[in-house]
Amino acid sequence: MTLPVQRPRSFLERLFIPEILRGLYITLQHGLHNLFHQDQPTVEYPDMRRVMPDRYKGAHRLTTRPDGKVKCVACMCCAQVCPARCITIEAGEDADEPIEKYPVQFQIDMLRCIYCGYCVEACPKDAIRMDTGIYEINSFTRQDMIHDKAYMTDLMDGKKPLAEKFYRDQPDQAPAGFDGTQDRVVSVDDSRGL
Amino acid sequence: MPTVKINGIEVEVPAGTNMIEAAAKIGIEIPHYCYHPHLTVAGNCRMCLCDVEAGGRGPDIACNMQARDGLAIRTDTPRVKQMRKSVMEFLLKNHPLDCPICDQSGECRLQDYYMDYGQYESRLADPKVTKHKRQDIGDHLVLDAERCVACSRCVRFGDQITGTGELRLFNRTDHTEIGIFPGVRIDHDYQGNLADICPVGAITSKDFRFQKRVWYLTDTDSICTACATGCDIKVCHERNQVFRIKPRRNDAVNQSWMCDHGRMIWQDLTSLGRLLQARVEGQVGNTDAAMQTAVETLQGAEPGTVGVVLGTQASNEANWALWRLAKDALKGASVFWCQGNDPGAWDRVDDLLIDADKNPNTEGVRALTRHDASIGDGADLAHAVREGNLKTLLVLQDDVLGRLGDAADGVAVLYIGTHRNGTVDKAAVVLPAAHTVEQDATYTNRRGQVQRVRRAVHPAGDSRPAWQLLDRLGASLGKAPGASTAAIAFKKLSAQVPAFADMTYRALGTQGLPLVAPQPEAQTDQASQEHHEPAK
Amino acid sequence: MENHWAELIVVLIKCVFSLAFVMQIVPILIWAERKVSAYIQDRRGPNRAHIMGIRAAGLVHTLVDVVKLVVKEDIIPDHVEKGFWFAAPVIAMSVALTTFTVVPWGDSLLLPISVTSLWGGTAAMEIPLQVAQINGGMLFILAIGSLGVYGVMLAGWASNNKFSLLGGLRASAQMISYELAMGLSVAAMFMLYGTARLDQIAAQQAGPIWNWGIFGVLNSPSFDPLVLIGWVVGGLAFLLFWTSVFAETNRMPFDLPEGEAELVAGYHIEYSSLRFALFFMAEYAHMIVGSAVTATLFFGGYNIPFLDGAAIRAHSDLILMVLGFGGVPVSLAFAFIAWRRSKRPFYRALAKNDIRHREPRFFISMWTMSALSALGLGVVGALGLVGGTVLGPELLAFALQTGSLFIKVLFGTFFMIWVRWTLPRFRYDQLMDLGWRAMLPTAIGTIMLAGVWVIVREAVHAV
Ligand code: SF4
Ligand code: SF4
Ligand code: SF4
Ligand code: SF4
Ligand code: FES
Repeated sequence: MTLPVQRPRSFLERLFIPEILRGLYITLQHGLHNLFHQDQPTVEYPDMRRVMPDRYKGAHRLTTRPDGKVKCVACMCCAQVCPARCITIEAGEDADEPIEKYPVQFQIDMLRCIYCGYCVEACPKDAIRMDTGIYEINSFTRQDMIHDKAYMTDLMDGKKPLAEKFYRDQPDQAPAGFDGTQDRVVSVDDSRGL
Repeated sequence: MPTVKINGIEVEVPAGTNMIEAAAKIGIEIPHYCYHPHLTVAGNCRMCLCDVEAGGRGPDIACNMQARDGLAIRTDTPRVKQMRKSVMEFLLKNHPLDCPICDQSGECRLQDYYMDYGQYESRLADPKVTKHKRQDIGDHLVLDAERCVACSRCVRFGDQITGTGELRLFNRTDHTEIGIFPGVRIDHDYQGNLADICPVGAITSKDFRFQKRVWYLTDTDSICTACATGCDIKVCHERNQVFRIKPRRNDAVNQSWMCDHGRMIWQDLTSLGRLLQARVEGQVGNTDAAMQTAVETLQGAEPGTVGVVLGTQASNEANWALWRLAKDALKGASVFWCQGNDPGAWDRVDDLLIDADKNPNTEGVRALTRHDASIGDGADLAHAVREGNLKTLLVLQDDVLGRLGDAADGVAVLYIGTHRNGTVDKAAVVLPAAHTVEQDATYTNRRGQVQRVRRAVHPAGDSRPAWQLLDRLGASLGKAPGASTAAIAFKKLSAQVPAFADMTYRALGTQGLPLVAPQPEAQTDQASQEHHEPAK
Repeated sequence: MENHWAELIVVLIKCVFSLAFVMQIVPILIWAERKVSAYIQDRRGPNRAHIMGIRAAGLVHTLVDVVKLVVKEDIIPDHVEKGFWFAAPVIAMSVALTTFTVVPWGDSLLLPISVTSLWGGTAAMEIPLQVAQINGGMLFILAIGSLGVYGVMLAGWASNNKFSLLGGLRASAQMISYELAMGLSVAAMFMLYGTARLDQIAAQQAGPIWNWGIFGVLNSPSFDPLVLIGWVVGGLAFLLFWTSVFAETNRMPFDLPEGEAELVAGYHIEYSSLRFALFFMAEYAHMIVGSAVTATLFFGGYNIPFLDGAAIRAHSDLILMVLGFGGVPVSLAFAFIAWRRSKRPFYRALAKNDIRHREPRFFISMWTMSALSALGLGVVGALGLVGGTVLGPELLAFALQTGSLFIKVLFGTFFMIWVRWTLPRFRYDQLMDLGWRAMLPTAIGTIMLAGVWVIVREAVHAV
């Protein structure tokens, strides 16, 4: 149902033309400003990159213990909490480890992931993080969009966040407070959690 | 019967009932670890402490308070709450934070009660006492002493149920540690029950280890069909896949226990010998074509040369359907049943649960034979085959050819069953039947308890419940037994066979009902053929 | 005329020229549409496609678009009414182009005997710069222009698709409604001009700016205060005509036929590839023709204010000099801008060997070259090398007048784009309201006022 709302309009407003001219003036201002200043907020993406905030939820990675094994113990908390049901874990028994359980397989279907970060919140072992800053998550096949354990474990070695690399190369354009010498990604070897 | 008062609510219970059970009767849950209905009362966990209002003294443990007139307890006072909280704090003092890797999590009493009575803020200053983890104590068990709450259920089980007594609580105070005597392994047939009764994750099952988080599983009530005992079970499954089987309490059948063999029957669902497709002369094909061949074989047979063999491994419904098929659609066919195990059957026996008879439905078929005296037994069958009177045999899940050996050469066998056996290899037509966890049906155990199985997963491959196959076969032959669903089949069975009189699926419920005792005057077959209501 | 072959060839050349006039603006418009919309909305607009590193502010995208549209699969749905469906885009495009034949883009080109004698001519040849000189030129435009609705309607109907049909229906209703206001406003202008021939209409607006249609066609070399009545008449007629042009070209805020929110894409949903391109280009061709006609009716057509054809021819050297020397600093300024742009963060963000580093260099040299040629032009004018030649002044007049029309057309189309990205779309009832209840009465009023003004103008002239 629509209710007619009576707004008083002056004669000039009812003529429309002055109002149209006013509108035209506003858009022209924008157009000319942008023509001469070229200061649109657009980031010309593949050539320039925005550095992601620290809490940006990028691609998932699996953290490792000092011995290189994944911290994950296949407790399934993340798989349980995931609203997109995109985490598939197959648990197995690790005979040599004091921590008996480990994920034989750990897959996240990034096509279904909604980047809510619940999995990170749920993890009791700090085993999964989304702090890679990687937002270019793409592939040519659906299969490749399913990130597996090996991929997510090595993610930080093979692929540094692209934005960081860019600003390290162009330090003068880096946002204030960006420390190019330090990896924004927290070391994976800290003994937190275990 | 004494009347007791719990939280001000009066409840009348049989003498000798303890307060945990009495409270459960009116829907009040008293948390407990060490109490188990089928073990003696130990009273050592103190979780069930309650305030005694009248008829007793001080806070007392509910598991050891027997109902007597004038007894009144409260479980809702602040003091009870504080006591539970304190008990929890003690229990968890040295408890490892293993939940992420502990198979118990999701069905752990520590977790459950912690949510209700947890301390939440740790007051722990000293390092935890560590104990032995991941000990191999049996073929089916893993023991993690750190997780134990020293309830002694497992100790009592060993002492009182199996009588083997391998486990003990060693040391004292917070160094109390569950352990097994040196050099001993648990090797009885009831190991899985230890994992079940352990209220926490100290004893867990090796077979289920890390297979699945329990909260993903759906439970379906059923019974075990590995032997004639018919232990009540629940089938735990997810997405059409069974992950484990656990016993279900039925005081008339198995109390709370089951054997390790029964726990693994779900593996038969996908075992190599499983019949997933119909066969004609050994050639795998589709069910319709095989059914057609079976119909043609039966119709082409000379009258009087057709026999059907009831199966003691098949359900009441399937046997009833086959019996009706023989009476209605295959006029003149003789009906037989063979008692005793198939060749090559599992051979463990004991006096606790495992029965020598490995057929889950011997009593059900026997009830049919009591009703229809014309059903011949195994000797009659062997005789008839040897005489050459039988040219075609319709067999329901019974290794007939394995029993008869070469004598049966030249007999065309139509077989309905779940797994490969001596008969399948020589049968003319094989129709794949659904496994017990794949269908709705009833079985009658050695004590005559009629119990239901329920469909937990879809029938594998092309298999269908045997009663359904028989119904279709009957329809093709001209007269279907009328088993369009299991419930309808059972209703007709109970109407026709007095031993099942007045039983329905609803009445059977989760615990089953005993067979009706045989009437002094035998029912004639003719009476039942007229489909009138049996005499009450 | 002594030589019909020469006549024929000249007409053909004029046809090609007018076609080229329209078609060359189309890609510019497509580019402008994207860029203007981007700037108005604080975006950057297309800027990725490049040829050997030269992106030319996104112009390359238009080129790429053409390639894409040409090589794309031409999908012919099974359910369309084939004959009409094929005809519709052709009608749309040809109507748009046909109307341009009567628009003059210059007064006339006089070929002296020394030139015509080249092919055996015996007299000077005057070539009117207009493909067809028809007495009812403006009526021809109205007539052909309203045929355009057939393209849209047939497309909508023949596509055999609810949305297309609705789009086609809307288009026809809308065009018919606005045709009226357009016709009436043009009638007012006829009264002022006393003719419907576009070349004569343009010729009447030569000279000072108050001779323009929008200022009431005073037709006098001096200014008179009474002309204010003319302003009202011209202004109103212009407003009505211009609004109708928007409606006729289906431009925002009158683009209901393709309202994507409710009709997907309206009448051209089922078209793809080149057939879609035809519709797409037809829309822009319509815009161009609409702007050209508006310029001719109201803004002096090809005339440069205060500088009529005779004056150009008389002072050709001076004009060249001013243009040439004036062009030098402008080109240099552009070169400077190009140099400044090479310092933008974007270029510094590129890898050292990125091919796009060429771009600023390319533009610097391009503008420098343009400065040099402007300088050359100025020198030619200063030396008086053109005025004395046979064809020089004629060609200059032709170039300047055509350029003047070109610029007016560009401004008109830019205005259309500008409006598109400013105003929201009308609701259909508002559209009809505006057409029938506001514009039609105003148009009739304008005609009456025009009558008054014609009498008053007579009086002014008589003074
Ligand atoms: S971010 Fe959310 S949706 Fe994605 S895997 Fe984690 S829990 Fe699932
Ligand atoms: S919540 Fe953490 S430890 Fe548990 S399965 Fe997920 S990643 Fe592994
Ligand atoms: S026994 Fe219970 S509380 Fe302890 S680790 Fe296992 S699940 Fe967690
Ligand atoms: S192992 Fe389990 S059942 Fe045995 S005493 Fe410990 S907690 Fe109780
Ligand atoms: S249940 Fe009563 S003390 Fe353990």
